[in-house]
Amino acid sequence: MLLQQLINGLTLGSVYALIALGYTMVYGIIELINFAHGEIYMLGAYMGIITFGLLTTLHLTSPTSGATLLIMMVMAMLFCSACGVTIERLAYRPLRGASRLSPLISALGVSIFLQNFVMLAQGPRDRGFPHLFAGEGIDLFGSRISAIQIFIMATSVLMMVALQLLVHRTKIGKAMRATAQDMQMASLVGIDVDRVISATFLIGSALAGVAGVMVGMYYGLINFFIGYIAGIKAFTAAVLGGIGNIPGAMLGGLLLGLIEALGAGYISSEYKDVFAFAILVVVLIFRPSGLLGKDISRRV
Amino acid sequence: MRRSWMWRVITGAIVVLGLGDVPEASAIKLGMAGPLTGDQGAIGQQLKNGTIIAVEEWNAKGGVLGRKIEIVWGDDQHDPKQAVAVANKFLNEGVSGVIGHFNSSCSIPASTIYHEGKVVQITPGSTNPQLTERGLWNVFRTIGRDDQQGVVAADFIAKKLKKSKVAVLHDKTTYGQGLADESVKALEKAKIKPVYYAGITQGDKDYRPVLTALKQKSPEVLFYGGIYPEAILLTKQMRELGMKTVFVSGDGVWQKEYIDIAGKDAEGAYVTFTPDQAKIKEAQGFIKKHKEKFGEDVGAYTVYSYVAANILLDAIAATKSTDGPKLADHIRKTKWNTALGPIQFDKKGDVLVSPFVVWEVKDGKFVEVK
Repeated sequence: MLLQQLINGLTLGSVYALIALGYTMVYGIIELINFAHGEIYMLGAYMGIITFGLLTTLHLTSPTSGATLLIMMVMAMLFCSACGVTIERLAYRPLRGASRLSPLISALGVSIFLQNFVMLAQGPRDRGFPHLFAGEGIDLFGSRISAIQIFIMATSVLMMVALQLLVHRTKIGKAMRATAQDMQMASLVGIDVDRVISATFLIGSALAGVAGVMVGMYYGLINFFIGYIAGIKAFTAAVLGGIGNIPGAMLGGLLLGLIEALGAGYISSEYKDVFAFAILVVVLIFRPSGLLGKDISRRV
Repeated sequence: MRRSWMWRVITGAIVVLGLGDVPEASAIKLGMAGPLTGDQGAIGQQLKNGTIIAVEEWNAKGGVLGRKIEIVWGDDQHDPKQAVAVANKFLNEGVSGVIGHFNSSCSIPASTIYHEGKVVQITPGSTNPQLTERGLWNVFRTIGRDDQQGVVAADFIAKKLKKSKVAVLHDKTTYGQGLADESVKALEKAKIKPVYYAGITQGDKDYRPVLTALKQKSPEVLFYGGIYPEAILLTKQMRELGMKTVFVSGDGVWQKEYIDIAGKDAEGAYVTFTPDQAKIKEAQGFIKKHKEKFGEDVGAYTVYSYVAANILLDAIAATKSTDGPKLADHIRKTKWNTALGPIQFDKKGDVLVSPFVVWEVKDGKFVEVK
């Protein structure tokens, strides 16, 4: 049972981590809590279903084909990146110089707009997600890892490794790190800050899009409201790990998933959210900047 | 100068706002409340369709008391707080009666407000006993109660399935937990003590942790008190974890969506619900009309909302009044001939006869178990 709960928790956690990365990257650079990020994840899930529908009507799909899945994920990534960049352009960039509260309110507005737009365009009902993974899995010491759980964990790890490489080994990654440290200074040494911010939104949104498709498949059910709860959980994960810190978001996501699974399995499923948030409170009391967050002394 | 200009704008605004507030004296308003959007939106749609057809039929006959009938919609999104807001909105709009709400957790707080406002409420879907047990004169329901439903489910598990290791889950709502508790009570009478009992959170998507814990007790049957969106996830995730446990639930799961989305994982699940509406001859006219108008078959609660609307309008016509207490009195003492067959209400507002039967999911359809 412990092993099974660990598997459940890690799967859930890696999804939280993927979404949390988007929060943390944006916060790290422009210090904005992007409340519309959960909605991007929801858009990714819908884009997955729409792509699947398109492929089916074009007779280009077989139910268990890996290519179908790949196309769905790529489409979701492209669509979500486009949305993320557009949102930044329309809703946040014009407010760059304004007080910190203005973009925050703008983010809430975008979130409400997207939820209602999808509700009107796609209907308020639950949509079933296509079954692309048959019920097979591996039995391991009396627990069962399903194929989709393996797939979710593997994809998440792959994405996170790719992100680490991107941030630490490429030019744009270097520019992102510089912008995060000091935006003004970065622009003085010739970094196109607007482009870096766009890139950040693009990458974060693409990760959320992948998470959307994977979770849609994992649960088999999506609606226009899934972004809200996922967004809150991912935000919690980002804060737990230290917001603004990329490895922190990964750690926070995995921890949150594990706490929820173990709490629900061993103590009580009614109070699993209580454990998750209680641990968050305790961590914040002793480490106000999160588990891996640095104590940043604010510039005066 | 400036002031006079401002005054003109303000007076203008008051006049315009005032115009909006003038009540249409000619229309009789009926409130229709339920989860019209959100994850239970499919049920809201059923309640909506039933009411629309009833009101259209009456309006085609010239309305009631010589006045047209107008429906005021109230979307409570199965949230008790929203339900209270909807109830207050209905009173402000001056509705003559309310059809709804659907969820017991919404119907109960809203009923208190309708009681204070002296408005009759007929719910087509709330089955929790507490709704009518609090002695409110204005509350009726066209569906049965969970204490009747729980007994049927428990009996079926004990006598037909002959299983004794039963796990019980519920969604912590008034309806879900109420139904689960009624079933546990009935199971205990049959000397079956649940091996596992827990609540889950509505709106969550991952129930694998609680199912994994439940699996350790190796139950033969899982009884779930709740509505279909969570039931779909529980069923799918249970099968994914390799559990062969039989899934048994109540009327909230008797929905096309449950089978459509859970697919083959739903096969062999049992759900308690009222008997086959296709066999009630009074319902056939309505079912046909619904198919013609909306292009789809009636859902679980469509007929119940149609009947609720008709009883309300009939009572208004018969008493020539929209006065709450008068209507309630008339509804209580009349023997109704409805699309669900003859209906009579007891003192509390419950239907006198309300049989629940067990349905099985077989080849992608609900089939009544003989």
